[in-house]
Amino acid sequence: MHEVILSVGIDIGTSTTQLIFSRLTIENRASSYTVPRISIVDKEVVYRSQIYFTPLKSATEIDAEAVKKIVRDEYQMAGMTPADLKTGAVIITGETARKQNANDVLEALSDLAGDFVVATAGPDLESVLSARGAGTDAMSKEERMAIANIDIGGGTSNIALYERGTLRGTSCLDIGGRLIKVQNGKITYIFHKIQELANKHGISVNIGDRADPEQLMKVCRLMADQLAQALHLAPQDGGHAGLYTNDGKPLPDTPAVQAVTYSGGVADCVYQSDETDLFRYGDIGVLLGRAIRENAALNQIKRFQAVETIRATVVGAGTHATDVSGSTIRYDRRQLPLKNVPVLKVSQEDEASLETLKSSIRDQLPLYQPEGVMEQVAIAFTGENRTSFAEVQDLAAAIIDSTKEVIESRYPLIVVVENDIGKVLGNALNVMLRNQKDVICIDSIHASSGDYIDIGEPVAGGQVLPVVIKTLIFNS
Amino acid sequence: MAEKDLRAIIEQVLMEMNLADNLGSAPKAEPASTEEKCADEGFQGVTSKVEEGELPDITQIDIRKQYLVENPEHRDEYAELKMAAPCRLGIGKAGARYKTLPQLEFRAAHSAAQDAVFNDVDHEFVEKMGLFTVQTQCDSKDTYLTRPDLGRKLSDEAVETIKAKCKKNPTVQIYVADGLSSASVAANIGDLLPAIMQGLKSYNIDVGTPFFVKYGRVGVMDQISEVLGATVTCTLIGERPGLITAESMSAYIAYKATVGMPEARRTVVSNIHRAGTIPAEAGAHIAEIIKIMLDKKASGTDLKL
Repeated sequence: MHEVILSVGIDIGTSTTQLIFSRLTIENRASSYTVPRISIVDKEVVYRSQIYFTPLKSATEIDAEAVKKIVRDEYQMAGMTPADLKTGAVIITGETARKQNANDVLEALSDLAGDFVVATAGPDLESVLSARGAGTDAMSKEERMAIANIDIGGGTSNIALYERGTLRGTSCLDIGGRLIKVQNGKITYIFHKIQELANKHGISVNIGDRADPEQLMKVCRLMADQLAQALHLAPQDGGHAGLYTNDGKPLPDTPAVQAVTYSGGVADCVYQSDETDLFRYGDIGVLLGRAIRENAALNQIKRFQAVETIRATVVGAGTHATDVSGSTIRYDRRQLPLKNVPVLKVSQEDEASLETLKSSIRDQLPLYQPEGVMEQVAIAFTGENRTSFAEVQDLAAAIIDSTKEVIESRYPLIVVVENDIGKVLGNALNVMLRNQKDVICIDSIHASSGDYIDIGEPVAGGQVLPVVIKTLIFNS
Repeated sequence: MAEKDLRAIIEQVLMEMNLADNLGSAPKAEPASTEEKCADEGFQGVTSKVEEGELPDITQIDIRKQYLVENPEHRDEYAELKMAAPCRLGIGKAGARYKTLPQLEFRAAHSAAQDAVFNDVDHEFVEKMGLFTVQTQCDSKDTYLTRPDLGRKLSDEAVETIKAKCKKNPTVQIYVADGLSSASVAANIGDLLPAIMQGLKSYNIDVGTPFFVKYGRVGVMDQISEVLGATVTCTLIGERPGLITAESMSAYIAYKATVGMPEARRTVVSNIHRAGTIPAEAGAHIAEIIKIMLDKKASGTDLKL
């Protein structure tokens, strides 16, 4: 068994918009006389679009119609139609990751992006996708090291730390190449946090000033210092905490970072020094790249070449966002695909007893009933230590007992469990509900509170469902 | 190496061997000194004077986490590899031989495997599962192990019993057989059988009366299928135990099985045990296979799953 599905990745960032198509090969890796174990075995990018400047109506508002034109043209050039695509993700990142933008883009692309693809965003997810696109996860496994990828875009630097192939932390700072813009030799824009950073260190840069490379280089050195601090390679100074996007958290201090890769638009300026025209991009990207390359703290650790640089996020979105569910699951086909279903997570603590599991579900359900009407929701938990038939029955009964509102609503009962009990739990739910309610019960998927989940149409002869877990943390 | 050196080494080795022999026979001559000698050899604290305390159960050791190589170059990497499969790797050595602990574990696993083959399934357990028992033409474990042909045929009494007690012409007939592991039946049937039943119920598929076959081999399913007129027959049978688990179970499933049909007409789901495919989930999977079998009216290599 061997199936190829096509996936699209669209990344709409603060400064650039790109699109890729990739082929995901799905295969059953178990022998034919055991329960199937289907997974994505190969990922290959088959088409890369040009890199466009993101069409904006204002500093923070995306011109959705113009995006649509870009996407439509690229589909044509690649010879793809929406019907060819089984999965994918649109990632709206950085400064433009706002809910209104997401809605506008979603609407504009709804007939173009295939049945499965949805607008998503969030700095944590972006950090992960760019690091995977950069190949940092694979590299950390290969090199047996803790490697951080810093994806330095126009507005933000997204950091993800992988240790031997396992994600250890993500973080996002307001450090980027376009936080100071330069036109005709003059500074035309300075992001307020960068202005504060410069002021604090007594460096005078102001909008309207002549773009003096010496002066701007000083600012870029400060920005590079902040990145070194974010990787715990230098002690954090007083202003450091304020630079995290959305008051986010720093990386954990263990494991210690042993090497670094760079992706994002500024990465090429880190890896190569081409300083013929310092302001050729109309911003400080080239200088920031040089400042990072020369930063003593960052140079204490190894610098590896990323597999993808400026395209890391879009490659990540197109090839690494999609996962497949476990191979023994229960679902009702008529209900698929499902998009943007919010996740109600029962914490591991609450899961320990069925009573707390029930009360956790009951307490959280009102959050998914704005104006008293039940909306679509997926109940997620690990299902750990509940593997015997009797325990699964009790679990099913507890779920039914605590999800009356869902069962009475027009939406299916969606259960997402980590442990491999999806099918037996789904059967139990079906039987207890006398086959009167559509049930979707999938396993081998980890979802967290606040995530959204897309569940696609079945692949691999109906044995698995493609799943995209999205962390939607919008800038307000 | 010079011949002289070689000679010297051989002489030394021979001398040490003689010495060891003498030591080995020493206790015979002087029984009283045995205890003392044991203590010298590193058995401190475990003298016959100790009456309380317990030995750790070596079968509880997870061999995927057991790494006994001294001064390893890549401990973490090896440990990670070991987690992928329960193999007896990275267990160190004492000279050219196993260390004591792995040697004992190996023998414990071998004993568990033998027990699984030679012990009978607990009668009470079978009854608790709501199953009645019939027997093949084997009258003992010895016959069963030495005459596979008899393990594929029901005794006359068994034929009469299932005719009397079982629903006729069921869509699905499920039964349990001891096969080569009674331990497997005890470990899995409690979760596996109800999970299959529930799965079939969720598909609204009618199931016959389940029972237990003592001294049963896979092939007896063909006769059962014929006697009861089942559309699909499914046997849950203990697999030949290995040294990793003695509790693994297989399900052999066939569409309209008949005596003498090719083996290729059986569909099998193997490796059902708590460290393989967990029995409850396997049961749900088997129910779906049966459903597909009924839809496509085929099994074994004729059925593309």
